Amino acid sequence: MSVLETQAQKVRDSAKKLLADATAQTVIGYADEGVDGLCVPVFITDVKDVGRLVWNRRSVPNLASYLIGRKGKTAIVAKPCDARAVVNLIVENQIKRDDVHIIGMDCPGMTDAAGAALHACETCQVNTSPVFDERIENAEVKPVSPEKRDAERGLDENLARFTKEMEKCILCFSCRQACYGCYCQTCFMDRGVPDWHPESPDMGAKMLYHLGRAMHLAGRCVECGACENACASGVDVRYLIREVTGFVKELYGYDTGLSLEDQPAMLTYQPDDREVGFLGGEAHG
Amino acid sequence: MSQTNTADFTPTIVAFLCNWCSYAGADLAGTGRQQYPPSIRVVRVPCSGRINPIYILKALVDGADGVMVSGCHPGDCHYLAGNYYARRRFTVLKKLLTVAGVNPDRVHFTWVSASEGARFAQVVTDVTDKVRALGESEYKSRRGGERA
Ligand code: SF4
Ligand code: SF4
Ligand code: SF4
Ligand code: FES
Repeated sequence: MSVLETQAQKVRDSAKKLLADATAQTVIGYADEGVDGLCVPVFITDVKDVGRLVWNRRSVPNLASYLIGRKGKTAIVAKPCDARAVVNLIVENQIKRDDVHIIGMDCPGMTDAAGAALHACETCQVNTSPVFDERIENAEVKPVSPEKRDAERGLDENLARFTKEMEKCILCFSCRQACYGCYCQTCFMDRGVPDWHPESPDMGAKMLYHLGRAMHLAGRCVECGACENACASGVDVRYLIREVTGFVKELYGYDTGLSLEDQPAMLTYQPDDREVGFLGGEAHG
Repeated sequence: MSQTNTADFTPTIVAFLCNWCSYAGADLAGTGRQQYPPSIRVVRVPCSGRINPIYILKALVDGADGVMVSGCHPGDCHYLAGNYYARRRFTVLKKLLTVAGVNPDRVHFTWVSASEGARFAQVVTDVTDKVRALGESEYKSRRGGERA
């Protein structure tokens, strides 16, 4: 049996046990019932259905947002990035620690239909779950490579890149819907006053959406790549968010979803925080 | 990038001013007959912590050449810590704007108290000079549609 199939069997065994002894009322996991082998989310509530649960290189969706608003205890099959999302949802008081059972999967990285590594997985920094109730190991998962940030570019280049990405965007909001962190009941883009999103979505609306969303995900993004995987227009959805999240880490020493105790960087302050970019303060590096 | 990069170009700068300090500082500059350029459009807010970063983004996307934000000095916020939270947001926002191609000299954050009328005038003069030197906003020409 392959290592992945062993992991899958452990998921099924665990689900069976959790449901049988009523530790959890529901197990959220992956079923191989999508198109081109792409796994879809499945909610198992009955022991006789655990056979539908799978685990493979196409267990792509981030399931964390399904935990919001659930009643009773829910177990979740979580890739490390999804587990970070779960942790951040707990830290942000969207769900309770006691209401969730994290089945933390060691992750070999996910692929597209052709078997090529997904963009987010290529640069993954956390491939074992930081917080879990049980860990399902995979001995083939190797330690991660050092973090890669984009090289600094000049302003003109930055502007050209931003414009190029925005030209591709059709404002379908799939990236927002896929993101665990975009759980707002009403997104600012759906508000009428002021008209963040005019009837004819122009360049300005696209810029505003992506800049606004990047601000909202700064220090909250868990680098799962769900947003970019969801985009059918080939937009590099994540690069702004990656830069600001890296900046938050650099400045405030905060990494999202690694600990249940840490205060999220943007929800706290220090009286002597650095004033990078302020009038008379230090310059941006 | 810009055709308006001349000394007589008056940039449009949206200024978000905290009611309890910088707005009063602006008043004091006025009653004290301090001169400063007619470039700012003031939006009075109850606290720098009340400024949602998307207001600043919208000002820029909608064609402002610059944005200036001023609140109470650290430690002096009327609501105790609004400006501390704001400081983190603004710091990150400025980084984001740089990555998205906005010249950092267009966006300025500072602290001005109610008693600093002369400083307020100086800040507006400095900010205006910096923005004027850059000419029209990089984003202006990227705006499609009718909205100005
Ligand atoms: S912004 Fe994208 S990569 Fe980050 S948490 Fe949301 S979906 Fe995942
Ligand atoms: S973009 Fe911002 S406002 Fe919209 S759903 Fe995401 S976090 Fe909420
Ligand atoms: S970036 Fe892609 S997924 Fe997001 S709104 Fe634009 S087209 Fe849709
Ligand atoms: S009251 Fe002035 S910054 Fe908070």
